[in-house]
Parts: sequence; C-alpha cells; structure tokens
Amino acid sequence: MHATSDARVAILGVVPRVVHAPVNADECAEIMTACAREGLSVGIIGGGTELSLGRPPAALDAVIRTRAMARVLEYAPADMVIRVEAGVTLAEVQAVTRAERQMLALDAPHPERATLGGLVATAGYGPRRARYGAVRDLLIGVTLIRADGVCARGGGKVVKNVAGFDLPKVVCGSLGSLGLIATANFRLHPLPEVAQTAIFPAISAETAASLVNRMRQAQLEPASAVAIGQGAGALDLGVRFEGFDKAVAHQMKRLRELGPSEALSEDAAARFWKRHDEARTGGALRIRIAALPSHLPATASLLSPLFAALHGAHFVAYATLGLTFVTGEIADVPAATAALLAARSALTGSGGSLVVDDAPADVRANVDPWGPLPGSFALMSELKRRFDPERRLNPGRFIGGL
Amino acid sequence: MEAKTAAPIAQDVVDRFAAIVGKPHCISDPEQLRTYECDGLTSFRARPGLVVLPGNTAEIVQVVKLARAEDLPIVPRGSGTGLSGGALPIPGGIVLGLSRMRRILEIDFDNQWMRVEPGVINLDISKRIAPHGYYYAPDPSSQQVCTIGGNVAENSGGAHCLKYGFTTNHVLGAKVVLADGNLVELGGPVLDGPGYDLRGALVGSEGTLCVVVEVTLRILRKPEATRTFFATFPSTDEAGNAVSLIIAAGIVPAAIEMMDRLAIVAIKAATGVDWPDVGAALLMDVDGPLAEVEHTAAEATRWAQEAGALEIRVPRDAAERDVMWRGRKSAFAAMGRISPNYVVQDGVIPRSEIAPVLRQIAQLSVSSGLRIANVFHAGDGNLHPLVLYDAAVPGQEALAEHTAGEILEICVRTGGSITGEHGVGADKAPYMTSMFSDDDLATMNMVRCAFDPDVRMNPGKVFPTPRLCGDRPGKYVPHATETTGLAGRG
Repeated sequence: MHATSDARVAILGVVPRVVHAPVNADECAEIMTACAREGLSVGIIGGGTELSLGRPPAALDAVIRTRAMARVLEYAPADMVIRVEAGVTLAEVQAVTRAERQMLALDAPHPERATLGGLVATAGYGPRRARYGAVRDLLIGVTLIRADGVCARGGGKVVKNVAGFDLPKVVCGSLGSLGLIATANFRLHPLPEVAQTAIFPAISAETAASLVNRMRQAQLEPASAVAIGQGAGALDLGVRFEGFDKAVAHQMKRLRELGPSEALSEDAAARFWKRHDEARTGGALRIRIAALPSHLPATASLLSPLFAALHGAHFVAYATLGLTFVTGEIADVPAATAALLAARSALTGSGGSLVVDDAPADVRANVDPWGPLPGSFALMSELKRRFDPERRLNPGRFIGGL
Repeated sequence: MEAKTAAPIAQDVVDRFAAIVGKPHCISDPEQLRTYECDGLTSFRARPGLVVLPGNTAEIVQVVKLARAEDLPIVPRGSGTGLSGGALPIPGGIVLGLSRMRRILEIDFDNQWMRVEPGVINLDISKRIAPHGYYYAPDPSSQQVCTIGGNVAENSGGAHCLKYGFTTNHVLGAKVVLADGNLVELGGPVLDGPGYDLRGALVGSEGTLCVVVEVTLRILRKPEATRTFFATFPSTDEAGNAVSLIIAAGIVPAAIEMMDRLAIVAIKAATGVDWPDVGAALLMDVDGPLAEVEHTAAEATRWAQEAGALEIRVPRDAAERDVMWRGRKSAFAAMGRISPNYVVQDGVIPRSEIAPVLRQIAQLSVSSGLRIANVFHAGDGNLHPLVLYDAAVPGQEALAEHTAGEILEICVRTGGSITGEHGVGADKAPYMTSMFSDDDLATMNMVRCAFDPDVRMNPGKVFPTPRLCGDRPGKYVPHATETTGLAGRG
C-alpha cells in the first residue's frame, strides 16, 4: 500500500497530509477503516478532471486516489454489461468495448483522464446524454466503501433489477460525500454503424429552440443537439445523428427540410465537436445552468450581463435537455458576481439552477458554487448523516456544506 | 389462506380519520376490509385496521400525521395489482389507498413532461396524450388497471423497457409526504437540481420511504414507425439463440418477448389467437425513424430465420398487431385456462444464459411433477416462469412455492436478480440475503432511515428481518485487541 504526502494533490487549495493509492477495493476498504479508526477526514480523487467542483473541503487529512484501481473486472459482450474498478478511464472502457462493436454511451469531457468512479460521483455527461440518458441511466450496480470502511453493494450485473433500494442512483452525483465508489457496473449500447453531424450556422437562441421543437415534431431522433456561440447572440446548432447508415442518411435528409443546414464532412464534424469540448471546458469561470429546454431564449438573454463581464466567453447549450454551460475569463469581478447572482435568482425562480463548476477565488468569495438549498435539503442532510455520521467524507464540499 | 388480524382500531381514532377524509372514504367494517387484505399476491393476507381513501394532498398530510400520533403503521396502496405483496396490510394498521387521487395536473408537450396524481392509471396517461402524438413509455402488462403511484413504488417495467428503460428512467420528480407529515419536492421537470438524487432513491422503494402525492413524468414523442413480427421456433433453444443474434447485430428492439409451448397453449385458450402449436415464439417490436425501422425489421427477420424460425408473421394492420400484443399481455391470466392455480415468478438472468436456464427450469418441472410455463422479456433476461398447481391437492401449493423459490436460486447463481419488475415486497424479502450481504442491507437501510426513522411506512417489506433505525449509527469502536496493540488493521 502506498501512502505518500504530495502537495500537488490538493482539493480547492486544501492539501492533505497523506495520499493513498489503493490498487483494489479490499485495499481501499482497509484504508477507509484505518481512517475511521483515527477519525481522519477523507477526500477522493479519480482522474482529477473536476477538482474545482464545490466548496473547499472543511478538512482534508487523507486523499484516496483511485487511479491505481484500474482493472476491467468483467466484460460480457453478449449481455452488454461491463464491471470496472473506479479508476478505469472512460477512454479505456471505450477501447475495450469498441473491440466488440459496443460502447459505454457516455461522452463526458477529458475521456483520457476522467475515471468511471469520478464520472459517477460527479454525474458527468456529454452531448449524447440527449439520446442515451445520464450516468444514472447507465449505471446498474456499485460497490461502495462506506465512511466506516464497510463495503456495500447495490444494484447488480443485470440491466433489469428491482431488488432492494437503488443505491446506484443515490451515489450518482454525490461527490464522494456518501462513500467511495470502488467498482461500478454499466449497461452498454451497440456502437453505431455511422455518425453524421449537420449544423445550422449563426442562428438566434429563438431559432435554435424552435428547430429543436420541430425536430421532435418531425420525429427525428438526434443523438445530440448542441448550440455553441461566443456569447448567446449568433449560435451554431450542431445536430448529430448516429445508428445504421440508411437511417442516419434519411434523418439528415429530413433535417434539411427544417431549415438551412449544412451537412459536415467527417473532418468538419470532428472540428465542430472539438470546438464544443474546448468551449465547454476552457476558461477560469465555468458554470452549468439547468432550465426547461423551451426557455433557451430566455436563458440566453438572461446571460447578457454575464457575457458583458467576461472576455473569451463561450455559450454551449444542450438544447434538447435544457442544460447550458458558460465559460470564459473574468473581465470585471464585481459585474460578473452580480450577473451570476442575478441569473441564478431568475433561474431558481422558475425551477432551474445555476451551479459554478469553477471560478477564481474572488468570484467564489461571493458566489456559492451550489446556490440556494432545495426544499429537500433536510432530507439530504439526514441521508449524509446516516452514511457519514462523523462528517469525514469530503466534509463541507457538497451542497449546503454536506 | 386466512388473513392475519389484530385488535381493531378504537372507534374514536377511526372517527378522527373519518373526519379527515369523509366517512364514505374511511373503511373500518370488517366485511369491507376484506377487499384490502391482499394485493395481486393473494397467498399473503392480513386484515388492516382501517382503510382511508384521501382525495387530496392536504388530507394525506393529515392522515399521515394522525397515524404518527397514534403510532399506526401505514401501507400505501394503488390499485392493488402488485405481485410481491408490496401492498400487503400490516394487521391492524392503516392502508392509505390513493385511488381517488387521479387528476392529471399539468402537461407540457414542448418540454416533454406531465404532472399527475398517483392514482392515475398507467394507460390513461398515454391515452390522454396520444392525440398530441406523445406517450408514456413504461408499459407493465397490468397497465389498464395499475396506477402510476404503484409504478413509482415498484419501479415497474414492461415489455418496452428494453429500449426505453423502466419507471425510474421516466420519473423526473415527485411531491411526497414524509412519515412526519412534511411535504417535500424531489426533483422536478428541470434536470439536475443540485444535491442528492432523492427521486432515484424513491423510485423502487416499494412504499417504504414516504407517500407520493404527485409525480412528474417524462413523456416521449411517438416514434415515426413501429414494426412488429411474430416468429415461431421448434424450441426455446432456437428462440433464445435468435434473441442473441439480433442483439449482437447491434439492434435494440423496443421489445422482444418469448413464450414457450405451454404459455402459447394457455394464451390460445384464453384469447383465441390463431398461433400454431410450437415449442417457442417470439413477439418483437422495433420502432424509431422509418428508415431505421425498415432496416432493423429486415435484419431481425433475417437473424430469426438464421436461428431456425419455422414461420414469421407480420401483422397486416394495427388491429392485428394489437391482438398479438393482447395475447402476450394476457399471458398470466391465461394460465387460469389450463390450471386451477399458478405461482407467477419474476427473476432475471444474464441474457446469454436464457437457453441453459430454461433447460434447468424444465428439469425442475420434471423433478417436481409440476408444469411450468415460461413467458418473459427475453431482451433483458427477465423471466416469468409460471408454476402451475392444484390447491385442492394437499401439498401442491407448498411444492409450487418451493419450486418457484428454486428458480430464483438459479437466477442468483447465474449472476442475475431475484426480481426484475415485480418487486421484493413481502414475498421475496427472505430471498434478499441470497443476493445481498448483511452490510449491503444495512446500507440500504440507511436510506430508509433518512426518510422514515420510525419505520412507519410499509414496515416488514423489502428487508428480510425487521430493521430499526436507532437515532444515530454507532461511532467506530475498535476491537479490544487493536487498542492493546495485539492486532493491527489496514
């Protein structure tokens, strides 16, 4: 077992006293048990791609890095199910499954570094969530190492299973606050035969929302529909279809009937999606907005004060889902702060949310990453208390300081 | 089976419940209570002390608060179609029937969601939105009578969840009344509210966490086209192989259902469908954009032939398709035509194990001397063996129950599950230990305790042994040998 001190392993500026790198779930449980015995607070790091999430931990004695837990434990192509250790990266899973013409239908950013454990803990996703759902829809089983070191399983290895409470759902997006996800089981999908992307260039948010609506009316089934712009003025709406060759060609043809779109060559499509990756993940400020899909134009106009306070800003809207990312560099701290708080207030007023994924310290000083507490917060708090009564797992980092 | 009973609830307490919901909606007469002694699993019976049928959320809050004040357990109930005894009353306790809560509150087609009360019938949701070209995907076979609240409790599936997922994938949010009477919203029409995914914990919790008073559902645009075919095979081996080949070709059918010889005989007797007497049949739907469906239907047909299909029938029109599907969906009830009694089992196996597991089930049939029919969701390995027996023959009911239990053990041994869609309820609670360790169950219990620390909601279900919550899980206490330095950990 390796235990080292490493100042480079910090979570939001908080440096742990000790870093562990277990190689399997048993070792991980031993470490967690030892931490429990000594009353140590524990942070968990996978690929380290989302370390900026949340508030700085209130205490961080030890960090457990899961990257050395990197085995694919079981892969049954005929059952389209895979069981992996937490530290396996998304790219590694895709490489293994691609050989059988299958895939994990998850296209979160940084696949070379992002681990499956981390993707579950942060509920990570990419544009194709529009078609395949979120991590919660793909995860069918987990092994959780609890704060007291006890190893608990939930779900199973078959897609259809209602035995017991759905622990896999409970840990999705729980940001290491309920336990360490040691292994995860996923359902897989067939690898699409082909994929094609078309774009509607330089359109307004109103037009983008209307196109999304008309695509649904026309019974088109895109894998993703993403509007990208520098600011929310002129947007390029990229629509991707994937599946069997004939079906994709047919849908691309039907899409052209909806408005002036341009089918992209393979290279051009790759460039469009790379541009998406960069726009979504770059910048000192990164925020995530959730609203109803039809509110896209309202969301866009709501954000104009924020765009005025940024430079190099990007707007990335997953238009069928109502999920929008804004990234950029802060030009004016007080103006950006005010704009974030005003946008958040308007969004939460209509049932949505604004979460700050990353921001410079001077913005964080006045903008909580999570925002107002939901009505169910007392219940969340109680869930945390039941799983981690001593508040040792990532204490203070999650919503409301859980 | 005789119902378990307990001392009746005092009349003054009954009167107070009646004052909340109105006298006609408060049932305490022993004869009328009989109706509520069991759900779809009729071999488990218990006489509730009182059945209350509230008509709105405010009444539910008051009922829950009064039950708490009187320290009475609450069992929520929809239509009572569940097959695992999830709505089995606690003797002398409250049954909270949600059948009067059946309003459709809000529909937002642009954003693909609707908000309904828990007593709304599953099929009525799709019927209501069908004129607009939308539908609600989960379609349990009981969809003409089961309620959406019951579906949320059980995380109900159905034939079409192979492609579209289960209830949990289609519930965006819920408004619930907690055991302390507090009203809380979990999730909602907008995705990704910050914090824990509590609606994920709720769906499939079998009424053990809270009472659902409103549900926000995802609704889907109808696919452009659907193609159905019915294929017959000499035996379940070839049919199982056909399923494997179709899935391996990258096709995700909307549904792919298998029936064995005995199931076909029963369905024919019950519904009059003109299916041939064969060893096995598949009923399959593919749906999606027209060009995709034409391709996948042709490919699937080709693979079925490759696997040795005897005949492939394509329905001429929607009416004929409906007849085929009605045949499949009436399969459980159809058993009544060929056997006085039957046990419905629900277990899951990895799809690749279908053929060998069906052979093991056939051996069980031989060794027990009981006929076993198989009708199931082949695409996701969700078996529904029906163990046929005659209750008039002494010992046969117990033998049938035992045989059904052995099938579950096969499911667990292959890496599957003791239930794919009917739930654990009262029936399968004892089998939970074959799938989960005590630590696993204790961890699930933490979720329950966060919602309902008094264990007032549907006690005695899901968990194999009664579990209490205690105010606070214990702090780590080192073993004596550790503190004396005789042994180390980690």
